[in-house]
Amino acid sequence: MTRENNLSAMKKGLLEFVVLKVVGTGQLYAADILGRLDGTEFATQEGTLYPLLSKLRREGFVHYEWQESSLGPPRKYYRLTPEGRGHLDTLDLYWKTIDRTLAELGR
Amino acid sequence: MQRVIHAGLNRNPYPIEEDAYARLETYLAESAAALADDPDRDEILLDLEQAVADQCRRRQPPQASVITLQELLPALEEIGPVRAPSADQVGSKENTDAPTRVSLQQISQGAWVSGVCLGLARHLRVEVTLLRVIAAALLFFTGGAALLLYGVLMLLMPFAPLDPQLAPARKLPAKLREWTEALRGKLASVAR
Repeated sequence: MTRENNLSAMKKGLLEFVVLKVVGTGQLYAADILGRLDGTEFATQEGTLYPLLSKLRREGFVHYEWQESSLGPPRKYYRLTPEGRGHLDTLDLYWKTIDRTLAELGR
Repeated sequence: MQRVIHAGLNRNPYPIEEDAYARLETYLAESAAALADDPDRDEILLDLEQAVADQCRRRQPPQASVITLQELLPALEEIGPVRAPSADQVGSKENTDAPTRVSLQQISQGAWVSGVCLGLARHLRVEVTLLRVIAAALLFFTGGAALLLYGVLMLLMPFAPLDPQLAPARKLPAKLREWTEALRGKLASVAR
């Protein structure tokens, strides 16, 4: 439909890649992930992130551990599994290929 | 004057004003509907409850303990509506392979007493709160005789294996699990 809608569909499709990338930087809990994305094009909310993390866990790409927190109940800390790391490498490579293709196709 | 309700958010009690409670209930019901096809629906709902609790706490003035609409509305605004990720082969395959009904087990993790209600709720796919209310009512109207029924169920229902991905069981359920398993062992040796 509108130009903006196209852009948001593209962002939505990339969110999974972006979340894997962020989780790949270390052991993070949901608020850390949201904080890292805040202020970027990919800023998102718990309502979107939780179902996505849960799906990535079912697919075996991330897993979490409970860790005590000084304020409130224990939190889930997310990390990439080796399988998730491999998937992220594949996505990274694919992204670079697309980028090259776009450059070759002209401007 | 507002009535204050104790809401269980991620299984912890939070006092909350009545109108805020009603708004939260609507939000959680909408979220549950959006996640109807998600195999991890219940877990995500608990995560969301925790997010609501955290966000409200952060917005509360010091010394305040009751959650009001003043904290809840901006908190829900920040958490945003639940959007299920697009289904793909892996997720949907898991969906069709998943058993339609899990076996009847008592679940220590997240249990209040021994996990009989929690296990029944999972088996019957109903809200655990509903079963707890029924159990409390039974206990009240039978003058405590329902305790016997609970004991029998405790003895008969196998325990679900402990899941390292879930928060560990509270003290009472963990103790009861220990006792029940010891008692079963004794009964089994007597039977022999």
